[in-house]
Amino acid sequence: MSFCDNHCMAHRRQTFGKDSGLQARMALTLFLLGLLYVVFVGVLFLAGAGAGLIVVVAVVLLLGQLFGSDKLAMAAMGLKEVSPDEEPELHGIIDRLCVQADLPKPRVCVIETNVPNACALGRSQKSATVAATRGILQMLSPAELEGVMAHELTHVINRDVMVMTLASFFASLAALILQFAFFFGGGYGGEEEEREIMLVILASIVVYAVSFVLLRTLSRYREFAADRGSAVLTGRPSALSSALIKISGAIEQAPSQDLRRVEGSSAFFIIPPRAKKSLMNIFADHPPLEQRLAALERLESQLQGGLTATNA
Amino acid sequence: MGLRDIFTGRHQVKGPAPDRLFAITTAYVDLQAEHGVDPSGTAAIVFQALATSEFESTIKDMEEVVTATGGDNGTTVKTEDDSFGYRWMILRSPAGAPSVEDLAVGINAVSSSIETAGFGERLLCAVFGFTDAKGQRIYFIYNYKRGYWYPFVPAAGDAQERSTERELQLKAQVGEEMPVEPEIERWFPLWGIPI
Repeated sequence: MSFCDNHCMAHRRQTFGKDSGLQARMALTLFLLGLLYVVFVGVLFLAGAGAGLIVVVAVVLLLGQLFGSDKLAMAAMGLKEVSPDEEPELHGIIDRLCVQADLPKPRVCVIETNVPNACALGRSQKSATVAATRGILQMLSPAELEGVMAHELTHVINRDVMVMTLASFFASLAALILQFAFFFGGGYGGEEEEREIMLVILASIVVYAVSFVLLRTLSRYREFAADRGSAVLTGRPSALSSALIKISGAIEQAPSQDLRRVEGSSAFFIIPPRAKKSLMNIFADHPPLEQRLAALERLESQLQGGLTATNA
Repeated sequence: MGLRDIFTGRHQVKGPAPDRLFAITTAYVDLQAEHGVDPSGTAAIVFQALATSEFESTIKDMEEVVTATGGDNGTTVKTEDDSFGYRWMILRSPAGAPSVEDLAVGINAVSSSIETAGFGERLLCAVFGFTDAKGQRIYFIYNYKRGYWYPFVPAAGDAQERSTERELQLKAQVGEEMPVEPEIERWFPLWGIPI
């Protein structure tokens, strides 16, 4: 069959251009985050034994987060798994996208709220869940819904939950140290030891603050990447644009009662931060709408331009 | 998907797998002779229709080519867009003379011209229609990304139910003749097949 492989490859062509700018910015963010963490680990080592225990605790927490937070988040947000019988259209869209993306089918859930939103959960492709709210199902046309679900499936393909959880490991560690700082402040020990403890606390504050910014930046880049992935998967960048406009419009224009319900039901933002990190929410830590629309518009014009040779 | 792809958050839509579409032309012989599963004389290819002039003109040219070649054996071509925004190009053998070979040649002509034009990753699947002795409609679906076939038997009536038992029987009946999708959770249904 190898000759056939070659035959197929020869005709591969890119419908969309490359996203070099986004890739460069993402690499820079990851590099800065890594640098920050290396320095932080250095400081922890300098501080000596006490830090070792904290690292162990943090690793346990990380594992717990990777393996347990899905269920926590699902319960907190009121995700309800739906069968193909109950939601034929949603399942139909996801079936086709899974064929298109060559992805095993994730669990499909619905959240019974009028707030239009969607999210993806799960550390791996096998354990993934995608969910849509009742509001988004009612509001969007099939093509728009397909764009949104392709965005969520791209989070699954890119393993964004895993990436963000791992990327925020040392930030969580720093937060942990700060939470327990008073234990160290106990002052039984020499002056030298106290200086070391102060150093660790200071370093934690810096790491926490800087990584907060970097992680949010990284998250926004992953959102851009997911928008792009959606466009590549469906071949309809403008359908996703239209969906984003509708969703954001609905959030802004909802009458006050609805807005209060938005407040009340936004388990998304109320649930504990650890669980929250296990979500890739279509609007969580999102880039500004205008920027997302502009990026999608560029993709649409590449598509319309029949971009054949200008990949560079 | 490699580690690098995970870091960059970038993935390519897969192009078609090595083509095993023609497995149907040997598999159906046994199905018909030994298991009473007759070809219905229709087949379809399903793909995402890009809303670009380049894609539309590719499709238009292709339709003309298939119609022209189909003229020799009487195969007719029709296109339909479904509610999910996918395009179905439906090939129909002349009444009373279903020919799985002609249909497969036609479907292959469509898919290879889509690939040649550089839109290979837009191909979703090909569907061949059959009926069994009891009049039950049976479909064999070819997944282009995976290069595998699987049977799909919608239960009678409007409800979106499938007869998994019948599908597994069919899998056993085609046996070695056809590369059947090994992961049964990837036997994705297609509801409302217009053939």
